[in-house]
Amino acid sequence: MKIKIDNLCYTYPAGVEALSGITLSIEAGEQVAIVGQNGAGKTTLVKHFNGLLQPTSGSVLVGDWDTTKYSVSKLARRVGYVFQNPDEQLFCKTVGEEVAFGPRNLGYDRERMENLVRDALAMTELGEKTETNPYDLSAAWRKMVALASIIAMDTDIVIFDEPTTGQDAVNVARIAHVVKALRERGKTVITITHDIDFCAENFERVIALSQGRVLLDGQANDVLGQDEILAATYVDPPQLTRLGKRLGLKTTVRNQEEFLAALRK
Amino acid sequence: MHERLSFYVHRDSFMHRLNPMTKLTLVFGLILLSFAAPFYWTPHLLIALGILPLTFLGRVTREYFSAAFKLILPAAGFLFVMQALFQPLEGRELFRFYFLHPTLESVMFAFSNATRVIVMVSSFTLLLLTTHPSELMSDLTRRGLPPQFAYVIISTLQILPQMQAKAQTIIAAQRSRGLDTDGSFVKRVGSLVPLVGPLVFGSLVEVEERAIAIEARGFTSTRAKTSLREIPDSSLDRVIRWLLVALVIVAIELRIWLS
Amino acid sequence: MAVVNLQNVTYKYPLTDAPALKDINLQVDEGEFVAVIGPNGAGKSTLCYTLAGFVPHFFKGELTGTVEVAGVESHTSTLSEWVLNVGLAFQNPFNQISGAKYTVYEELAFGLENIGIPRGEIKVRVEDTMNLTGIRDLADRSPYSLSGGQQQRVALTSILVMQPKVLVLDEPTSQMDPIGTREVFGVIRQMAHRGLTVILVEHKVEWIAAFADRVVALKDGCILLEGTPSEVLTSPLLAENGFGISRYTSVARKAQEQGLWMKDKLPVTLDEAVDGFTLTPGPSPKEGGE
Repeated sequence: MKIKIDNLCYTYPAGVEALSGITLSIEAGEQVAIVGQNGAGKTTLVKHFNGLLQPTSGSVLVGDWDTTKYSVSKLARRVGYVFQNPDEQLFCKTVGEEVAFGPRNLGYDRERMENLVRDALAMTELGEKTETNPYDLSAAWRKMVALASIIAMDTDIVIFDEPTTGQDAVNVARIAHVVKALRERGKTVITITHDIDFCAENFERVIALSQGRVLLDGQANDVLGQDEILAATYVDPPQLTRLGKRLGLKTTVRNQEEFLAALRK
Repeated sequence: MHERLSFYVHRDSFMHRLNPMTKLTLVFGLILLSFAAPFYWTPHLLIALGILPLTFLGRVTREYFSAAFKLILPAAGFLFVMQALFQPLEGRELFRFYFLHPTLESVMFAFSNATRVIVMVSSFTLLLLTTHPSELMSDLTRRGLPPQFAYVIISTLQILPQMQAKAQTIIAAQRSRGLDTDGSFVKRVGSLVPLVGPLVFGSLVEVEERAIAIEARGFTSTRAKTSLREIPDSSLDRVIRWLLVALVIVAIELRIWLS
Repeated sequence: MAVVNLQNVTYKYPLTDAPALKDINLQVDEGEFVAVIGPNGAGKSTLCYTLAGFVPHFFKGELTGTVEVAGVESHTSTLSEWVLNVGLAFQNPFNQISGAKYTVYEELAFGLENIGIPRGEIKVRVEDTMNLTGIRDLADRSPYSLSGGQQQRVALTSILVMQPKVLVLDEPTSQMDPIGTREVFGVIRQMAHRGLTVILVEHKVEWIAAFADRVVALKDGCILLEGTPSEVLTSPLLAENGFGISRYTSVARKAQEQGLWMKDKLPVTLDEAVDGFTLTPGPSPKEGGE
């Protein structure tokens, strides 16, 4: 399912112009990371994809649906949004119930719902914790529950808002694994992240926003190599990219394999 | 977004400069006088000669009248109509309309009660318009109010707007999971738990962390607390307070003497 | 001189079966900067609470062993005595704002008012500490109008103003964006320079390498490894046990296997990595800047 954004402008009721003419498309199955400083418009942009915000001018199409014509709960069939703070979503007595909440709202039949829930719990390694109360889990695990509860909705498009904050290396690896599994199923994954290394290692396309406009949009290797432009929106390049540059490697590298390959040449 | 909930209007005026305790005494003094004084027209006089001049002295006339028209007068008016029409006292009937037969006595009674309500709410409004909440709480704490009490009030005033913002985010998050917040009444009641649940649980987590944070800053220390800001208490303040106490005593005595 | 002395410390939260801390032995000298790393659930926060006296005084539960920090002792001192000597800051800046004060200046004074410091001295301490941490320009603002990074700096300053001997910081940058992280580490650097004893729980390995005198690796409530940043952060034990390690370290380890890293010691920081890889035989790299 394609997302098509045409000259999107958005001004908050208080008068702040958060987005000043954004035009871009995201094809089905793409893995996109959106980076940029706080206030650049990342969350504002992404909230248009599931109808939480409506354009002040311009249009947003999710597949063939114009987002101004569908409610948020309808758009939830196509776009799943994982909020940054899990405590703003969790309320059920058990993890299992929590993960089933989304699919139930979407009206899936019993069998499909049970499969999706089981599958989402397995993907996030929460299988053992199905009967636990989410609030008895640590903050890091609660984030995984929130993740699972959106995956279980089986939407074509999934949005992650800062999925790795507060997570240790093992959980970041789990989240990366989830992104990969979603990619293999042909889902579109869009993430907002400050963790530029996580971005470099898991996402093919990077969009850098600054002050409501698109600063850079392209393949990760291209975008992440442009230090000066990224610096304008307070984004540091990934660690291995920096190392590659300092060593004078010819190509921009963004993960271990690329780095070692470039070194060998 | 408002960072805090309060009526306070920042200005320099006679009322603003008065000690908070004095203003609080004024509030209770006016309320007690409106109930205790034996003359029928006391509450009305208190408004004309007390409340209104004080709003001028406090330079908050505009804000006071705004609150009066939006809140105080409608409330008092409603009370007046209810009492006048539905609690008839014995006396001269004014008119009959189905089961409604108000008497002159009940109208007079309702009128004075409604005016007392106006005095009560107006004096509190005046207090809140001219006194910063933290100043009020600081002064009361200095005079013996338990600090925990003051803390609960002030932190609630500051944190409620944050909770409002949080509630909005929760609604957005649950709608994004397909929760339908429009629709039938039954549906909307059913959608309360997913909205209230995270708010309550999330707040519990926050409250525990905040308790640790204020503990780490000595909140439960048994040492005598000091205060950064000095809240002046002038001799004029003391005179005004004693005057009010004296007036109330006189009014009560008069009532007893005249009845 | 040891300002922190933990011996055979075991702690169980109430209503739990498994201890959160098992037989911890840790000594920290005055002025040392110790970083604590570990996966989620390792007991890092519990360790922080123990160092600050909240375990056992706030959380109850069963604590055995000796806990002595800056002259206070867990079994005999009260929490009020602890907070005078040990400062504690944690992840979420919003929850560290008291809510009792309307301006940052007053927020900073809050702690001092509670412990009965005279008004004159309150003003001196607040002014000095504000200048030290660089938040003077925020003095008249409401704490709730600030960004995450600003709020965290206010939280740190409001602890510093109490002049603790030991500072315990539990993942203070976990929820910060890159700018906020830089701001907060700037303040931490100030504190380290002043000779304060600092115990910092952190995931961001590069910053640890820059500041810490010693690193303690915690796993499942026990100390797995302890030593200099270079020793601990390049140890193979870390990756085996689910710790996050610097990408420079892991890429150098891989490179070592392929004969592309010549040095014995693995790098932790960017500069160490550049140094090491520049020795690699092959086409000579350009002298390019970042």
